[in-house]
Amino acid sequence: MIRRVIQRLVSGIGALLVTIVLSFFLIHLAPGDPVTTFIDPGMSVADIERVKQNLGLDRPLYEQLWRWGGQLLQGNWGVSTTSHQPVTTVLADRVLPTLLLTCSTLGCILILTLILGVVSAYWAGSWVDRGIALVTTVGLAIPSFWLGIVLIGWVSVRWNLLPASGYADPMLPVGSWEWTGSIAQHLALPLLTGTLGGLAMLTRYYRHGIRKEMGSLYLLAAQARGLPRHRVLAHALKNASLPLVTLLGMELPGLLAGSYMIESVFAWPGLGQLGVNAAFSRDYPVLMGILMVSTLLIVVGNALSDWLGQWVDPRVRRSS
Amino acid sequence: MAMLVSGCMGPSSTHTQHVLRLRLAGEPSVLNPLLITDTGSSAVASQVFSGLVRFNEHLQLVPDLATHWVISDGGKRLTFYLRRNVTWHDGHPFTSRDVLFTFHTLLDPRTNTVRRSDYMVNGKPIRFSAPDAHTVVVTLPQPFAPLLYRMGMEIIPAHRLQGKDINTDAFNRHPIGTGPFQFDTWRPNHYVKLKANPHYHGGKPRLKTLLFRIIPEYNVAKSALIKGDIDILEGVSPLDIPAVTRRPPLRVVTYDEWLYSYMGFNLKNPHLSNPLVRRAMVHAVDRTVMVKAVLYGHGRVAHVPISPLSWAYPRQVTPISFDPNTSLSLLKQAGYVRRQDGWWYKDNRRLAFTVLVSKGGKAGPKNAEIMQRYFKSVGIQLTIQQMEWQAFLKVITGPDDPKAFDLCILSWSLSPDPDAYSIWHSSQYPKGFNFVGYRNQRVDQLIESGRLVNDQATRARIYHDAFRLIAQDTPYLFLYYPRTVTAVNRRLTGLSQPGPAGLLVNIEQVDTK
Repeated sequence: MIRRVIQRLVSGIGALLVTIVLSFFLIHLAPGDPVTTFIDPGMSVADIERVKQNLGLDRPLYEQLWRWGGQLLQGNWGVSTTSHQPVTTVLADRVLPTLLLTCSTLGCILILTLILGVVSAYWAGSWVDRGIALVTTVGLAIPSFWLGIVLIGWVSVRWNLLPASGYADPMLPVGSWEWTGSIAQHLALPLLTGTLGGLAMLTRYYRHGIRKEMGSLYLLAAQARGLPRHRVLAHALKNASLPLVTLLGMELPGLLAGSYMIESVFAWPGLGQLGVNAAFSRDYPVLMGILMVSTLLIVVGNALSDWLGQWVDPRVRRSS
Repeated sequence: MAMLVSGCMGPSSTHTQHVLRLRLAGEPSVLNPLLITDTGSSAVASQVFSGLVRFNEHLQLVPDLATHWVISDGGKRLTFYLRRNVTWHDGHPFTSRDVLFTFHTLLDPRTNTVRRSDYMVNGKPIRFSAPDAHTVVVTLPQPFAPLLYRMGMEIIPAHRLQGKDINTDAFNRHPIGTGPFQFDTWRPNHYVKLKANPHYHGGKPRLKTLLFRIIPEYNVAKSALIKGDIDILEGVSPLDIPAVTRRPPLRVVTYDEWLYSYMGFNLKNPHLSNPLVRRAMVHAVDRTVMVKAVLYGHGRVAHVPISPLSWAYPRQVTPISFDPNTSLSLLKQAGYVRRQDGWWYKDNRRLAFTVLVSKGGKAGPKNAEIMQRYFKSVGIQLTIQQMEWQAFLKVITGPDDPKAFDLCILSWSLSPDPDAYSIWHSSQYPKGFNFVGYRNQRVDQLIESGRLVNDQATRARIYHDAFRLIAQDTPYLFLYYPRTVTAVNRRLTGLSQPGPAGLLVNIEQVDTK
């Protein structure tokens, strides 16, 4: 067991290192740099070059990587080239909103897909099943960007039910109950957008898994013994959800990537919006910081889901 | 249920009374005027800080922290007399020491500012000194007229920043200024909140709070405006005007922007180095149609590289009219032959170009498509190449000579001073913003002499000549001067007359009903 954990750790760190080095070069290969993000006839070329030198951007790429990596080992993630703040501070400011949005989306997706999956497996082939398939597929097919704007137009502007964008009403005292309630109201639409887009896959997996289990011999025997249908379903569900543990680990990167779009649309102050801005302004230290955090989350997520898979399914444990 | 929810959702009047809510399209980077390079940051900073001088609605210089100034020694000496009894937001008195500190920090090579060379003349730094606490003397190595306009640089507090690292100090996110509003909170990617400065030297603001909400997506900002979550939205698409004005609380104002759009000719291109070819291309395009199709009529055709609102705008310019027949005869005159395939050729080389357009803006690609059709009808082939903004910049402002483009579509936003050195002086190629490679000795001389005299009437004559010459040489195909469409909530009072300086020039008089 300990050996397996160590193996896992080593391969995780390896993946992290490779991703970091590769993305460092990839990011810097894109044309442009943080100083020349715009041109202004009032700016002089000499000034631009001097600022680049001050920021060390005139150095060869391997040297920049060496320096950045050295600092990183000492726990220094560098300083943002746009806001001149330490990258760790910049990230810390945005982590909470992103985690809130991503985790609640994940939670909603898990609960809803379980219900929808069971319902559509139970009444497979009926109009309910077909309705669910239609709705979830449409949710998958609609770009979240567009769906978000449509939802704002109807729910927020036309019916005035929910706020259009942002995180909380800026005029409320931070930390108050009203403020917390305001966050919940602001969360509703981005949450709905993210959830609708993520329903289709897991629902299909559940439906397929349950249907497959229901056809297996042990459940056939159970049915023959006269077990009521809902009891049989409960047994099927347990075994059908095994592959989902693995899928969950794979959903994580998708959710993080999806939050980039959703955060931009709803002006949600999280990592996604930060990432989009940093990419356009070539804020290398911040971009690298986001990449490291996302890679770490994905590596950890995968490790967790593997480990969970082993824990719930003895067969996986034996084969590995 | 719907009623209940909307009941507690609607902006309650206690929350929004005396609160002005504006939209920022992007997260500000830093609130230190010396380091700012983005419009979001400068929109916020301009409310927190003041300069020695500022611009009024007509973009004329008026006193701010200086009550008046005297130019002497043939334009080599500027003396600014500072306003007394001005305090920083923390109560500390404002003196000439702060002014010196600001300009000395700007000139320090370690400061990551792109404004340093604004305060250098021919490579020599301008000297700043203070005979007493309320006088600042600026000494120049030679007369330099554009400097006066640059004295609007916002002043930062010496007592707070002396001896600190200006590039990274916490001040940059918690600024202290002398402006009408003082810093309150900044929630990253969410909002920046400022509160009124009761001791503002221009009069206590009527507003209590100024809130900048960060909403990157235009359609979402439009929804926020309609919902009443923001009070002003700049840059409304003309197509949205009916949707906005249908709402009773909203009205729309339009005003000229201080910029012009153009298509630049790479003058090092063998075809484009011939002025006849460039003229033929200008004659081929009906720019009034472009104003209609791209700006939906909110703009006017440009003929010279300066805004018609400027005192340096030459009144007598002979516009190059839309005349495809003249295009054809000019090309013939230039030695081109039109072949069976419909295109023009010279020395077996087809008259064909690629135009670079930035992907970001909507106007660029649309302009290019319209021009493509006009050029095709006179036998000039145009290929459109869209590029991501940074890649685009690298091509046109890189150090290469010649540069790897034929044509490019861009806009210049101008400073209120007409000095055109960085765009048109031949020394600004290949490194610099004269990326088309324009070179005209007479224009160089005029631009140089325009910097030496302070008298506006004399300068106006110099620039009229320079801009007329540039227009004759057609290094650009000037497109248009766009107008901004801005939607405003009627609950606001005290807005300034609409103009390129925006609506908030006299922010201390703005209030809500």
